[in-house]
Amino acid sequence: MSSPVTANSNGRDNAVGGENLIELVDIEKIYRVGTEIVRALRGVTLSIAENEYVAIMGPSGSGKSTMMNILGCLDIPTSGKYSLRGKDVAKLSQSRLARIRGGQIGFVFQSFELLPRTTALKNVQLPLVYTQTPNRRQRAMAALDRVGLSDRATHRPNQLSGGQKQRVAIARALAQEPDIILADEPTGNLDSKTGDEIMMIFDSLHAEGQTIIIVTHEEEIAAQCQRVIRLKDGLVASDVTKSKEGGAANGPSAGGADGESDALVDEVVVP
Amino acid sequence: MSQTMVSHQSTRKLRRLLSAASLVRAPGAVVRWVSGGLWGHWQNVVTALVQIWANKGRAMLTTLGIVIAVTSTITVVSMVQGFGDYVTNMLRNFGTNMIFVHPWQPAGMRGMMLGRITMDVDDVRAVGARCDKIRRISPMIFSNATIEYGRDKIENVDFQGATEQFQTIRSYTVEHGRFFGPIDIDAGSYSCVLGASVLKRLNADRSIVGDYVIINGMRFLVLGVFEPKGSAMGNDQDDLILVPYTTSLKMAPFWARFMGFIAEADGEENVEESCLQMTRVLRERHGLQPGDPNDFRIFRQDEILADFERVKIIATSALASIVGISLIVGGIGIMNVCLVSVTERTREIGLRKSIGARRRDILFQFLTEAIVLAVAGGAMGVVLGYAICALASQHPSMVDISVPYWVVLLALGFSATVGLVFGLIPAFKAAILHPIDALRHE
Ligand SMILES: Nc1ncnc2c1ncn2[C@@H]1O[C@H](COP(=O)(O)OP(=O)(O)OP(=O)(O)O)[C@@H](O)[C@H]1O
Ligand SMILES: [Mg+2]
Repeated sequence: MSSPVTANSNGRDNAVGGENLIELVDIEKIYRVGTEIVRALRGVTLSIAENEYVAIMGPSGSGKSTMMNILGCLDIPTSGKYSLRGKDVAKLSQSRLARIRGGQIGFVFQSFELLPRTTALKNVQLPLVYTQTPNRRQRAMAALDRVGLSDRATHRPNQLSGGQKQRVAIARALAQEPDIILADEPTGNLDSKTGDEIMMIFDSLHAEGQTIIIVTHEEEIAAQCQRVIRLKDGLVASDVTKSKEGGAANGPSAGGADGESDALVDEVVVP
Repeated sequence: MSQTMVSHQSTRKLRRLLSAASLVRAPGAVVRWVSGGLWGHWQNVVTALVQIWANKGRAMLTTLGIVIAVTSTITVVSMVQGFGDYVTNMLRNFGTNMIFVHPWQPAGMRGMMLGRITMDVDDVRAVGARCDKIRRISPMIFSNATIEYGRDKIENVDFQGATEQFQTIRSYTVEHGRFFGPIDIDAGSYSCVLGASVLKRLNADRSIVGDYVIINGMRFLVLGVFEPKGSAMGNDQDDLILVPYTTSLKMAPFWARFMGFIAEADGEENVEESCLQMTRVLRERHGLQPGDPNDFRIFRQDEILADFERVKIIATSALASIVGISLIVGGIGIMNVCLVSVTERTREIGLRKSIGARRRDILFQFLTEAIVLAVAGGAMGVVLGYAICALASQHPSMVDISVPYWVVLLALGFSATVGLVFGLIPAFKAAILHPIDALRHE
């Protein structure tokens, strides 16, 4: 249970001392659609440290997904500098970027994106196949265990509920023990109760040391995070970090506004 | 900034070296490393099989071209091979290095001007005496006979006259009794040797040796019985009676000036030379002038083989065009279905890229799918080809057909190559997809 978390730190020793995990400087992203130019990001500068728990909010079209894609090395900025663990991402080749996505980043999507006709376990193993990690099965089982789905390992996506699918997706993101988990509206397709369950999983992962960035439209979800970054028209409108002592969102029990969900966290996460 | 790049790269190199060193130290690590790569390919194969199984009908239609190509390759090659074995065996049965010569009126005016065509026993003797590359020679007189034995009477039996050399030249073996010898030839004795089928048709057994049969109304002593030889080119080689040629000439004197002969060259390499020598002797004896056509024809085994080679080439080129066309059709089908598959699975490609798949991983995945699809079609073709060959073999007058294993390998290799070639475009298309665009795809 704890071994994945400790293994998680293996990359961190290489981190350039004092630097943040994520360093964005004046990031711009410009899309060209025909003759029209869409400036999705217009100079975003921010940094995110190890084990931060960040919510990104903002109106539709404000550039949240664009920023997530850049953070996740799925896309490269038009200009500006993005350093991940002190490494300038712009200088990396396609296959190095893929390696980073495989090893350092864990994506969670709004629509789960599980492979159909493929068991939960196989879905979770997939990134490990690309990174050629040994002991894939055990690692994938451990990851499923962390999201409380070890008993659904052989189920296929069409045999799982939405919340379960998203938990499999989180397990898949966890399997490679990434530096950061990037979740773009992970609860967007779920009802609020199931969404709460998902958030509790994130809460406990954060408590175990995981860095998590979540895009969300819901204030209640943002309230569980330590830090809320609000985007507007491709710019950072506000960036608020709650103080540790006063913060309601600073621990595994943070989401415990209602005891029912709290019980579920215990049930789900602690084996 | 480039400084960090360089140092970064050199550490990478160092790490790779270190890991290479550890590979040398730990064979277990080597196994893991190799199996890691294989595992990746195997995963691709599994994924491909799952995908193909999920779209069985489409896959079947797609691979039809390849199925046809492989089926026809296997069938035609096996049949040509079957006939080839058959002809080779037959020729071996005829006796190695055998040459058959018979008088022949050449076509056209020049043939007409030669006048009466002849070939007699003196010609045969002269050839035997003057051609040093000819080891054995025997006149051959062919006719048909009616045979009676007890109450049984059979007609239309191949009735051949020859010398004692016949046995060796044509590789016939006497099973019971003996063959006739020079004394029988000189005397023109009424003695004969029977083929196994004649024996059967007469409802007789080996006890017939020493008994008499009536051939065309004459009483013949049965000297011996041949071992069965089987059939060649649809001819039963055991349905024959052999008598001294002198005896058959007594019964049909016409052949005395119009006989053929068989000869055996002194080794395969001397067949050509034998024919030249023979031609020289016969032309000289027949008084042919330079420019006159030969008044005889020579049949050589290697000519029969050459004829067969021509048949083989025709069959093979017909096959090649069928196979070529259907492989292209099959290849285009595969390309098409793979393009559809790439479009259908664009989101999956995006997802795979977002969790660490490199371009080459996606490329290999879709290439594998194309190859697996093509090879599956090829495998179906192999099964069908086998089935057709097995069915064809059932026919009574068909030669034995066995599918040579190299055709199977060749056919599967061809299929795989078609999959590889035609899978390239879809695979590249998939590999170069932008992860975001792919994930946005609806
Ligand atoms: N591939 C693209 N081509 C052109 N324009 C794009 C592309 N992707 C995003 N955009 C534009 O960039 C802007 C930001 O888009 P983005 O998806 O980041 O918004 P978002 O904040 O995630 O919105 P939502 O909350 O609706 O998901 C939008 O105006 C969008 O139209
Ligand atoms: Mg978005």
